[in-house]
Amino acid sequence: MNAMNTVTPAPRIAEVKGLKVHFQSKQGRVHAVDGVDFDIRDGEMLGLVGETGCGKSVTGRCFLDLVPQPPADIAGGRVLFRPRGGKACPDCSGKGCETCGGTGAETLDLLNIPAKKMRQIRGEKIAMIFQDPGKALNPTLTIGAQLSEVFLQHKSHELLEAAGVGEGDRGWVAGSLRRQANQREGSFDRWARRFPPLKGPSRRLQKALDEKVAAALAETQIPNPRRVMTSYPHELSGGMRQRVMIAQSLACDPDLIIADEPTTALDVTIQARILDLIKMLQAKRRTSVLYISHDLSLVRKVCDRVAVMYAGRIAEVGTVSQVFTDPRHPYTQGLLNAVPRAGTRRGHLASIPGTVPELVDPPPACRFVDRCPKAMAQCRGADPQLLPVTEGHDVACFLEHPREDTAPETPRLETA
Amino acid sequence: MQLRDYIIRRLIILPFLVFGVSVVVFTLTRIGGSPIGVYLSHEMSAAEVQQLEERFHLNEPLYVQYFYWARGALQGDFGYSGVASAPVSQVFWPKLAATLELSVVSAAVAVMLGLWLGVFAGVRRNRWQDHVTRVVAVSGASLPLFWFGIVLLIIFWANLGWFPVGRSDADIWASMPHPTGLYMLDSILAGSWRGFVDAVWHLILPAITLGFGAVAIITRMMRSALVEELQQEYVDAARAKGLPERLVLNRHARRNALVPTVTVIGLTIAFLMQGAIAAEIIFRWPGLGRWMASAVVRGDQATIMTYVLFTSVLFLFANLVVDIIYAKLDPRVRLGD
Ligand SMILES: Nc1ncnc2c1ncn2[C@@H]1O[C@H](COP(=O)(O)OP(=O)(O)O)[C@@H](O)[C@H]1O
Ligand code: SF4
Ligand SMILES: [Mg+2]
Ligand SMILES: [Zn+2]
Repeated sequence: MNAMNTVTPAPRIAEVKGLKVHFQSKQGRVHAVDGVDFDIRDGEMLGLVGETGCGKSVTGRCFLDLVPQPPADIAGGRVLFRPRGGKACPDCSGKGCETCGGTGAETLDLLNIPAKKMRQIRGEKIAMIFQDPGKALNPTLTIGAQLSEVFLQHKSHELLEAAGVGEGDRGWVAGSLRRQANQREGSFDRWARRFPPLKGPSRRLQKALDEKVAAALAETQIPNPRRVMTSYPHELSGGMRQRVMIAQSLACDPDLIIADEPTTALDVTIQARILDLIKMLQAKRRTSVLYISHDLSLVRKVCDRVAVMYAGRIAEVGTVSQVFTDPRHPYTQGLLNAVPRAGTRRGHLASIPGTVPELVDPPPACRFVDRCPKAMAQCRGADPQLLPVTEGHDVACFLEHPREDTAPETPRLETA
Repeated sequence: MQLRDYIIRRLIILPFLVFGVSVVVFTLTRIGGSPIGVYLSHEMSAAEVQQLEERFHLNEPLYVQYFYWARGALQGDFGYSGVASAPVSQVFWPKLAATLELSVVSAAVAVMLGLWLGVFAGVRRNRWQDHVTRVVAVSGASLPLFWFGIVLLIIFWANLGWFPVGRSDADIWASMPHPTGLYMLDSILAGSWRGFVDAVWHLILPAITLGFGAVAIITRMMRSALVEELQQEYVDAARAKGLPERLVLNRHARRNALVPTVTVIGLTIAFLMQGAIAAEIIFRWPGLGRWMASAVVRGDQATIMTYVLFTSVLFLFANLVVDIIYAKLDPRVRLGD
């Protein structure tokens, strides 16, 4: 690699560095995520692919501090996030330093910020689309109520403006409206808003809120948003529910969306439509998306770059064309050869023999060694590092980067 | 089905159910023996006894007897209570008022305390607060109510003398009118602070005895329901929107955990009605339960019939209320399907 001609890549909105998430279980420590590195560029769609159980969801949830601790333990690493239009880096006042990775932009370590700050980021700067919209929507609240929460949480000032409450307004009416907008209202507030003088401004606030919700739903091509707003999740189809989830995640126009297998739980017939919708909205807004999937063909269709994950590690990362036309890691090669057959369990691969290794206290070795058709002696005893093979294409395999501490394997001579 | 239609349908069915219950109970009590016992005395001749039997139609077949009983009941005549030495209809309300006061107070406290404790333990799952709550709840659910009541009686009445037994101080009770029969309410209406304190003072031990088991059951149910809800993905989705934990808990998890708990609360009403019998005997509370217990011992069939009929109507109503709350809490519930 030539250190001199580093092309300035697109600014990176997020960087995951050496992320380790372990789970304490009866059998021992499960190394679910064990040293993951990747970055997400501004406005790109990065695919994170791998078999079920390889740690994709845990990695994605780390962005929003949604990994339950315990049983999880963030054993190391950083998840850096640079909000768009953020302030200048406080350490170097914008000149570029180590904290901000030379960008001069405010950089937050999402694993290490106060809970209050995290709550401001959730939904507003980083949003999440969950795998199963039937489970991620509260069954006992209307769609309208659930979408309203995002706006109330992050856009209460706009709503108060619509109700005619200014910054300096004092008095009980302004106070009650503030409580309404900040989701702190009591039963008395709810009762009192049926009568003047609260009635008028409270209605205006509600109307502004409903308009925002309806507009968000309309953007995901939901027909008749007003009717959907008064529906409960069980009254909608799976595809419609996922549109609602997407509308909810896009509500505040976030900088980054974590889409955790957003089409896996859906009927095959609607998967493509939801995928197109996500792609369309992403392209329109230039939102960065971490698209988690176990389905390579989907990732190939919509993503700009792809990171292949195996047993808690990144095996290979590069642009879609680099990884798909020139796969270097034997696991990626296996994935690309895998043709899903009938009877293959969802998320499992047909063509690679063997199973994903136990992640309980793994020894230092390539995680793929027991299934790898090209495994060598040097593949055990040390972890392969994720290193570049060409510009922007990194692979963690001793085939590409032989260990320096062991003699390179002598190629076997063909005996005629 | 619309909730209103459901309620109407259930209310229409109600009289038929009550009819069915009354037939069963009537038959069972009559199998137990003739109700004539409470009217008899040693001096009566065989002829006199037969005269009495004819007067009360006891010589007729069972279904005719039922007919006479039902006709009386429909007219508000539930027979003569030998235990109370008065017509059942006359003593029923004052006794019911005493039982209502006791069970409503302990039910209300038990529901509030149980829900609160369940949430308290559920959000602190597997921490020491959860373990302490569990120990208290398990003991509450497994201690026999009569034993627990007697222990309270021995400690706080016999030894420490902090609390009285019975329902009231006779002088204070006599010092005011009793338009409702509910002592606490009557004392408020009469503006008697002394009476109110007296009412509460007498209520505390039997209410604790009666409510402890209910608190335990509600706590355990609410805790496990909340723990389950907190593991659902919509809770993480709510967090992912940026909601503070206060709203994640109150608006999402806790509300949904109430759905299964409401059913259990409905069942504890049954538990309370049964428990009231023991609590009233232990604390000499002049309510329905104690009356019923004496009636069973003395074969006072008019009282038994009325009591059982009343409790069955109460359960049917309690079920209806539970169904309504259930449907209000969970939009997925399709009543009557
Ligand atoms: N809540 C949890 N408790 C214990 N172990 C967990 C938990 N969540 C995830 N894991 C562990 O992490 C591994 C990776 O999980 P996950 O990230 O959900 O996989 P993926 O999304 O790639 O299918 C799982 O195999 C499991 O062992
Ligand atoms: S490091 Fe070795 S075992 Fe691992 S993928 Fe490369 S060749 Fe296979
Ligand atoms: Mg997953
Ligand atoms: Zn800096």
